[in-house]
Amino acid sequence: MRWLAVALALSACADAPAARPLKLWHAYRGGEEQAIERAVARFTEETHVAVEVLSVPYDAFSSKLTSAIPHGAGPDVFIFAHERLRQFHRLKVVAPTTQRLERARYLPSTVEALDVDGELYGYPLSLKTLALFVNTALVTDPPETTDQWLSQLEATSDAERARFGLAYAAGDFYLHAPFVFGFGARLFDDAGRASFDTKGMARSLAFVKALQTRGFMPQEVSGALVKSLFNEGRAAMVISGPWFTGEIDPSVRYRITPLPTVSETGLPLTPFLGVEAALVSSRASRPDDAHRLAEFLSRGEATALRVNPGRQIPAELAAYERPEVVGDEAIAAFRRAAERAVPTPNTLEMAKVWEPMKLALRGVLQGEVSPEAAGALAERRYAALNREQPSGRDRPGATSPWPWLVALAGGLVAFAVRQWRRRGPPVPFARRYPEAARGLAYVAPAAVGIAVLIVVPFSVGISLAFFHHEAGDYTFVGLANFVDILTSKGYRVTEPLSFWFTLAVTIAWTFVNVALHLGIGLGLALLLKDPLLKLRAVYRVVLIVPWAVPNYITALMWKGMFHRQFGAINGLLAALGLEPVSWFTHFSTSFAANVITNTWLGFPFMMVVSLGALQSIPQDLYEAAEVDGASKWTQLRRITLPLLKPALLPSVILGCVWTFNMFNIIYLVSGGEPGGATDILVSEAYRWAFQRNEQYGFAAAYSVLIFFVLLGWTRLTRRLTGPEAA
Amino acid sequence: MSGLRLVGIRKSYGDHPVVKGVDLEVASGEFLVMVGPSGCGKTTLLRVIAGLEAVDSGQVLMSGADVTQVPPRDRDVGMVFQSYALYPHMTVRENLAFGLELRKVPRADVDARVAEAAAMLELTNLLERKPKALSGGQRQRVAMGRVIVRRPRLFLFDEPLSNLDTALRVQMRGELARLHRKLGVTMVYVTHDQVEAMTLATRVAVFDKGVLQQVGPPLELYHRPGNAFVAGFLGSPSMNLFDARREGTALVGAGFRLEAAGDYAGDVKLGLRPQDLTVSADGPFTGEVAAVERLGFDGYVFLETAAGPLTARFDGSLPVEVGQTVRVRPNGDVAHVFSADGARALRHPEAPR
Repeated sequence: MRWLAVALALSACADAPAARPLKLWHAYRGGEEQAIERAVARFTEETHVAVEVLSVPYDAFSSKLTSAIPHGAGPDVFIFAHERLRQFHRLKVVAPTTQRLERARYLPSTVEALDVDGELYGYPLSLKTLALFVNTALVTDPPETTDQWLSQLEATSDAERARFGLAYAAGDFYLHAPFVFGFGARLFDDAGRASFDTKGMARSLAFVKALQTRGFMPQEVSGALVKSLFNEGRAAMVISGPWFTGEIDPSVRYRITPLPTVSETGLPLTPFLGVEAALVSSRASRPDDAHRLAEFLSRGEATALRVNPGRQIPAELAAYERPEVVGDEAIAAFRRAAERAVPTPNTLEMAKVWEPMKLALRGVLQGEVSPEAAGALAERRYAALNREQPSGRDRPGATSPWPWLVALAGGLVAFAVRQWRRRGPPVPFARRYPEAARGLAYVAPAAVGIAVLIVVPFSVGISLAFFHHEAGDYTFVGLANFVDILTSKGYRVTEPLSFWFTLAVTIAWTFVNVALHLGIGLGLALLLKDPLLKLRAVYRVVLIVPWAVPNYITALMWKGMFHRQFGAINGLLAALGLEPVSWFTHFSTSFAANVITNTWLGFPFMMVVSLGALQSIPQDLYEAAEVDGASKWTQLRRITLPLLKPALLPSVILGCVWTFNMFNIIYLVSGGEPGGATDILVSEAYRWAFQRNEQYGFAAAYSVLIFFVLLGWTRLTRRLTGPEAA
Repeated sequence: MSGLRLVGIRKSYGDHPVVKGVDLEVASGEFLVMVGPSGCGKTTLLRVIAGLEAVDSGQVLMSGADVTQVPPRDRDVGMVFQSYALYPHMTVRENLAFGLELRKVPRADVDARVAEAAAMLELTNLLERKPKALSGGQRQRVAMGRVIVRRPRLFLFDEPLSNLDTALRVQMRGELARLHRKLGVTMVYVTHDQVEAMTLATRVAVFDKGVLQQVGPPLELYHRPGNAFVAGFLGSPSMNLFDARREGTALVGAGFRLEAAGDYAGDVKLGLRPQDLTVSADGPFTGEVAAVERLGFDGYVFLETAAGPLTARFDGSLPVEVGQTVRVRPNGDVAHVFSADGARALRHPEAPR
């Protein structure tokens, strides 16, 4: 790969040594994308510097940047939100702009957001924050304080007629943060550690919970619901960001104002401020041109384009003087809101806050946890997720991998010597294996393939399990990861984060699924076996379809069907006069949703296997049994099942292993909801590796444990099948 | 008491009639063999008796009761399948006991009856084996044992010996006959092998094209076949059949003239068993030898005559060779005479007593 990259780079250099265009990467779509392209065109017109613009899918953007830039293959300038700055800084992919940035030209808070340990990075382009959208037909004066707000909510809410004073995605911490700060809580203590179990936090949660219980806002609000409620005049007020202006129906008269002030504390509800910045790569080929481009994008005409057609809130102060912006009430309102907002901390700690807060918020809103207890719940999850590096001193041999490696090498040598000595009288190798060279040549391609694709990743995975990873540094910790997992350090065994809890869920998941796959598959196979069944071929094809569709597509379809509000399943329940079920808020229903999806995917395999096996049972055995006096049921039990067993047992064992590791369904359907309770071991390992502060070592230890569980399972099944095979 | 009666049984598969109205009565304790060429409907009829096939019309009566709509398990019949249909996942003992267990026979009785049947069939040493560890003859005996232990009122056999080699077939034939004598139960046996039919049956039923041609004791069928088909089917080698015409006291056909008694006239079919014809210096038939089968002290010659192929016996000492032209004469009054279409017998020779 590296050689290929070098070759490409060389050829690129040879083709156009001087006039290589600057590369700009972004993740914009629609109006925002148009705006950036027109701004870049203006830049090229003015400076005659060619720019190549590339739109990258948002999901992969960050990882593309961090892997491409260090190899010199990335962009010269890229556009990203400031939350990732510290990570970019640490990986050394961004160049500082402290000396170049004219601070006075921008809103102070947007410059503040670009600060990492005293250095500034990038040029602020636009900002995002939250404000209150008020339907002026329903509420004439926007509220100044929460007391005023509450009385307005009281007046405009009528839960029975499905009318609400307020709608916002209350389960999302980003939207709850204003309340946290408004009730005087601090998210981070002086040492930079997150703290949840505070008075302010409890009061903020209690306030929001009361909004819901008093019927001022609907339950389980999603972005789509907010939009439809506001546009239909069923929600008088909405908390949202600049993007919401594009979703409002033109017929709705509304105003945007900063969020009100909390009457008890006198503090305003303070939202997070997100700043999008043009960042210059540390490996930019022509740094001066790159900085010129980045700065150009943050100022003047480019800003104007950002406002229209981009509909973004500019960071440049001069932009607010421009005639097209002066009259724009929405942009003015968001500027006022931004003055009250605090930049989202770009610290690594901030990244660890989301999951615990989501847990606490959902728990409170669904009534499973009291607002007072929720902080402690989040605290515990936070502590569990953000494992500190296990200290080496109290763990023998945990400081250096060398003693372990020496012991391993010693063991291998001893084993080899023993094998060698057991061979008996030495025979010269060449005489013992006269055609060794040719044999090796035949075996080599497969051996290399196995080594590269299996042995190497396997060894790396196992080795990784003995390390602790934090922000790019690996430290050897011996068996500490395993010990922490198996003793469920930091949380109770009965909590979803515990290995044992997850193992139990995984085993239940596997058992229930395989039983259903087998039952349904076998049942259908028995029905389809009848040669007199009309349209048999059609049924068979139709029933195999679920298997033929890629499973992530099926998973996403089912996920959609289980949606609380728009899902087909709740639609069906409603049509039958039943209460709709919010599938992913309880363990049992969430687990059931996963099982239903996976059963849909899994039964065709068992059906095909059963059908094949059934057709190999001679018909006259059934006739003999019938004459012998067996009913249909007895024939199934005494003839069919025993004869299917040899064919089905391997499929069942295989099905168990597949289901045990069925990552796609868990990840895509329930996503582990509620609170990680429906996660199975693989999806849990994935979360530790990629969603919880990149604890690769811990995740690898999980994987090793999964490996051992499955190894044990195969040993067990081999014992079960052993006598049968004989 | 445990007799069987079939009344007007009809059965077709789609548009293809297989059994075209069969009436048949089997007396209690009788060993009835149903023979016929492949596709004559005999196996279908057996399956109808067992209840494995539903009839299109007609009635099956057992011991006087109509069982046409009764499922096989309630008919109290036992059946030995051509493929044996042993349960491959069960040992011999389990195979034998299966039917008894399903009928809730007490454990001790099951063991006793299995042991008895195993002893009768010399299976005692094989009881713990699975079918795939048995030879063909052993499997065959297990299949029979499975019926015997249940003591049904009616035994049904569907070409049970057809998968065995000749020597074993002869041996098993003997055992079957012995079994029937010993148990004295009613048996219905399907085969296409006339030797089995002749040796085992108390009565033989000959089928052709879904129609019962004739039923009766084996020797009666052999000596007094009701029509040309039965005459041709029973006996080995097959009876010679020639078109002939009654002229005075003689039967005249292409290239032969044979004196024959009997009260009939016009065009007929003449039937002569090879055993009743001898190669000799003179005789009414002349033909060229197409093939010779020497069996030792005698043999058969296959001739091409003007009237068609003819098979005759010859003395083993006679130097007969292929290509030779020889003459054949009947050994006395041996002519069977059928109507010209073969449907009716007009006369039979006196059967030797």
